[in-house]
Amino acid sequence: MNERFEPASNDSAPEAQDRIAGEAARWEKERYAAAMADHPERRPFVTDVGIKVKPLYTPADLAESGFDYLSDLGFPGEYPFTRGERVGMNRTEPFVVSAYSGFGEASECNKRFHKLLGWGAEQILIALDLPTQCGYDSDHVMATAEVGQVGVALSSLADMEALFDGIAIEKVKRIGTLGNSIGPIVLAMFAALGERRGLKPADYTVNLQNDPLKEYIARGTQILPAAPAAQLAADCVAWCVDHAPGWSPLTVCVNHLNAGGAGSSRATAIALANAIHYIDLLLAKGYAIDQVAPLLHMFPDERHDFFVTIANLRALRRVWARLMKQRFGATKSEAMALRTTVYGHGQEALAEPLNNIARIAYGTLGYVLGGASYVYIAAYDEAVSTPTEDSIRVALRTEEIIAHEHGFTDTIDPLGGSYFVESLTGKVEAQILAALAEAEAAGGALRVIDGGLGRRWMAEGAVRRQRAVDSGDRPWVTVNMWPQQPNVPHTAFRIAPETTRCQIERLRQVRESRNAERVRNALIAVDDACRSGDNMVAATLEAVKAYATVGEIAERWRSHYGEFSPSTDY
Amino acid sequence: MSEKSKMRVLVAKVGLDGHDVGARVVARGLLDAGMEVIYTGLRRTPEQVVRAALEEDVDVIGISILSGAHLAHLSKIRRLLDEQGAAELPIIAGGVIPQEDIPLLKDAGISRVFLSGTPIAEIADYISHIRDQA
Repeated sequence: MNERFEPASNDSAPEAQDRIAGEAARWEKERYAAAMADHPERRPFVTDVGIKVKPLYTPADLAESGFDYLSDLGFPGEYPFTRGERVGMNRTEPFVVSAYSGFGEASECNKRFHKLLGWGAEQILIALDLPTQCGYDSDHVMATAEVGQVGVALSSLADMEALFDGIAIEKVKRIGTLGNSIGPIVLAMFAALGERRGLKPADYTVNLQNDPLKEYIARGTQILPAAPAAQLAADCVAWCVDHAPGWSPLTVCVNHLNAGGAGSSRATAIALANAIHYIDLLLAKGYAIDQVAPLLHMFPDERHDFFVTIANLRALRRVWARLMKQRFGATKSEAMALRTTVYGHGQEALAEPLNNIARIAYGTLGYVLGGASYVYIAAYDEAVSTPTEDSIRVALRTEEIIAHEHGFTDTIDPLGGSYFVESLTGKVEAQILAALAEAEAAGGALRVIDGGLGRRWMAEGAVRRQRAVDSGDRPWVTVNMWPQQPNVPHTAFRIAPETTRCQIERLRQVRESRNAERVRNALIAVDDACRSGDNMVAATLEAVKAYATVGEIAERWRSHYGEFSPSTDY
Repeated sequence: MSEKSKMRVLVAKVGLDGHDVGARVVARGLLDAGMEVIYTGLRRTPEQVVRAALEEDVDVIGISILSGAHLAHLSKIRRLLDEQGAAELPIIAGGVIPQEDIPLLKDAGISRVFLSGTPIAEIADYISHIRDQA
């Protein structure tokens, strides 16, 4: 056993690297193996994405992968943006504390928005109810029992106005919603809302998820078939390039694909394939990559393994930057510097829900250390119902504590240079690229949907995860360790009983008081846009301003493009 | 066990809830346990679920619902089945269902609720003994 080492004059010289590799191998084969003989490893140490975790990482791991600081990491705000897309990151441009919220009907939801802003939320993303998300008005038969349940009911511009009553939208950092299958409608509503208040698009910032492609595999609120849905989403980006270049009209999502089982590397790859599809549509319409890419964000997700979370965000920024530059020829920094939205989670359990506060805090910390730009955070009871005021306040405070206490955000990319994290970042990047190559070989985004590759990856992963929990290989406190029955008395959040009645009444008043002819003409213009392929947002904007409803506009789309057909395989 | 005595299960998504990962994991698990499983796909109405169950002549209907609309949709399905002479066809449910709603669902004629995290083996075991309870 060597106890003395001769000091090397240059640690990174090849001889020094060989010595370190040799000593690391010795330690593992002699000391660690001996330790294992007395104390076997507790379980296999494999991440959810399948990367085996070694007992120890050393400079030898970096050397083996050919790690080069300047080309692999560089500096924040500079290509390839591995360490961060903003120059100062959390020191000068801290991540935006964001809340995803909505329930019931607009006026009661408005009161929650006021509270959220009071508690420190800087961005509000409206959670919409399922009828609205699926293009149905609150009084449609398909809306039965669903109005205001998972989000707020939004049937017309009147609801949007009520939602932001008393809120100066130009003073909130960002406002927005998901609107994945109704992108042009919600974009138009935000545009009309500002216009009504005498604001120009440059005065406020709108953020839309507007990523229909992932719905078909992983979320299920699609209305139309995938191809026209993607076109409508791209129209929103095009409209913003032309009229509101400071807005964020499309966030390509990883999270639903990962939550559904795909694992973060494969889910990231499918999301990238989706992003490529939207970009291709926009380039075909004559827009340039330098105009389009800055308006696209991504929503990464890794909630099983803390260090993989950090590695995934770093790898994703690097992959995006190289993709924009090498495949699409981007030249502007903003086109290659990817902004990321994240939603803090852990492996939340149903038993002893307060434990989820700790889980969610650690998961959110991973995202912050990974350099996320916009951070949402789950409430501890989110697995069971819409969050209560208390639980959402705790969530926001958790985020604020991460932002300001413990020194977590005092320096940029604090885990950069960690032998483990750099090794993981390289491995995760390789996984993402390999999976993206598979997705492209399968034919790209639309084929990943209808050829079943996306659902297969999700199903395989979901089954694998279930087995890992059932076997104990993936420890889960109160589920397979110290198992508890989820029988803690729990007060589920309930929407007020008169909500549906109130919402339908407002809808009736809107229909009665609007100019019927103006609505009729506007809907004809929507029909025309369906036929001509002209940007759907322009026609939708006029319809929205005339108080046409979500259902009325979506119905025109359905009648032209058809409805999606649900898959029955499993 | 002969082909005839294989349990036939309809796994259904009712209403607008679009999350079907759990439903498909359960469907696959029940298939692996030797049952015949039909999955309805997303966004079925209560009427469509009932029609599928009767057309497929299933032994049990398993409904996955995470949208909060469980009481309304499940009790409607039970009522429609009873009206169409299928009062003996049991309904089980899973998804995101608050604890305090489980007794209400039982009162509405739902045989059993399986909360998220239940091992598939437990569900398969329950189903395979359903005929014993008839």
